[in-house]
Amino acid sequence: MSITEGRLKATVMDADQIRRSLSRIAHEIVERNRGVDGVVLVGVVSKGDVLAHRLAQILTTLEKNPVPFGRLDVTLHRDDLHLRPHEGHRSGTDLPDIGGKVVVLVDDVIHHGRTARAAMDALMDFGRPRAIQLAVLVDRGHRELPIRPDYVGKNVPTADSERIEVLMTEEDGIDQAVIVAG
Amino acid sequence: MAVGSRLRHVVESQQFSRSLLEELFVRSEEMKREPHHFIGRLAGQVMAALFYEPSTRTRLSFEAAMLRLGGTTMGTDNAREFSSAAKGETLEDTIRIVSGYADVIVVRHNEEGAAKRAAAVSAVPIINAGDGPGQHPTQALLDLYTIRDELSKIDGVRVALVGDLANGRTVRSLTYLLSKFKDIKLWFVAPPQVAMRDDLKAHLDEHQVPWVETQELDAVLPEVDVVYMTRIQKERFTDPEAYNAVKGIYRMDKASMALMRKYAILMHPLPRVDEIAPEVDEDPRAAYFRQARNGLHIRMALLDKLLA
Repeated sequence: MSITEGRLKATVMDADQIRRSLSRIAHEIVERNRGVDGVVLVGVVSKGDVLAHRLAQILTTLEKNPVPFGRLDVTLHRDDLHLRPHEGHRSGTDLPDIGGKVVVLVDDVIHHGRTARAAMDALMDFGRPRAIQLAVLVDRGHRELPIRPDYVGKNVPTADSERIEVLMTEEDGIDQAVIVAG
Repeated sequence: MAVGSRLRHVVESQQFSRSLLEELFVRSEEMKREPHHFIGRLAGQVMAALFYEPSTRTRLSFEAAMLRLGGTTMGTDNAREFSSAAKGETLEDTIRIVSGYADVIVVRHNEEGAAKRAAAVSAVPIINAGDGPGQHPTQALLDLYTIRDELSKIDGVRVALVGDLANGRTVRSLTYLLSKFKDIKLWFVAPPQVAMRDDLKAHLDEHQVPWVETQELDAVLPEVDVVYMTRIQKERFTDPEAYNAVKGIYRMDKASMALMRKYAILMHPLPRVDEIAPEVDEDPRAAYFRQARNGLHIRMALLDKLLA
């Protein structure tokens, strides 16, 4: 292992920036959908579900109307499945009813767009949403599919070799988005 | 991007999911059973230990874990007195510098929240080895691992936490971890001056974990599977009168052991002062030395998870 591999190169969002971005995204969701009636948040495991949970809490407080949320495990829907070990994978999917609902898919980072595609595919196995919207904390560019998020926390130009890692207090002990050397 | 996410820092025990705990426990068992399989796993990697508060066991246990995995260690025992902190350098600056030298940093600090501050600026993983009265997550991991190892289960256990519950970071971290399991029941046995803080009680209520607060240890002993004793921490008291009023209030001896269930266990994060009489050590239910040994394997598993 090289001395720089896996090291954080820079912080792109700190805890306050993440909190403010989520707050803004929540307001945009309300504005765009004229409230939260029929809106369901679905987070992509394993960071998107934490973000979706937080967004659902903000929306519930904002609109005084509980917003259902769920988690979607797309491991078995990815087009690079043959490249990754998946033996004994147990699905972490746990969804509320999505039929006829506006599903806001939530993920931490959008890059090539392949996870978002897999998530839409996976979602269709569980029902027919009225519409699907996409919210991400970080858009790092380099799209390989015609997919564009509806809500973006921050656009971060990156080199293709770098990685963006989003840390969430619930799983990592702190809130932070960082660039990691490849 | 959600696929393949990894463990970056160890700051507080709430961050461990049940599945991650299970993964670490299974790995710890492998390391205990077949240590030769893991020789050289972390060859070429360097662990820095920055200790702003005295500790022998935690520090040696981390160093032993790193060395047994083939890594090397460096560190300072008295970071507060002897390092650049004495010249007024902030923790953040020290971490920025040391993270340029090491692949992982183990931090013990006297201020609550120090580990989170360190993690926010570090280029490499931070492991919280105790932050003042805040948390001590790796101790909680080895405590939970010990419960699982000794009782063969975690769901359904009844645990009494005894002693200094206000300042005892180990009991705080362990309580957070236990709240992730099913049918847990907790007894907080402490004098009012050092009772469990309200933030943790609110957390337990939110997770529907029943708890009882009492000062009567003898009444609780026959009820529980685990008695977790802690030391009243003299160094956390500013007023010596307040310390004298509560020191030595709970003590386990042969007579109190007789009140415990046949298959219950007695734990203690150590060091002990007088909370457990030496005569208890020979009782098979006295698990504290086995508990301390488990610290090595759980820390090996954790370093492996962060670095391998």
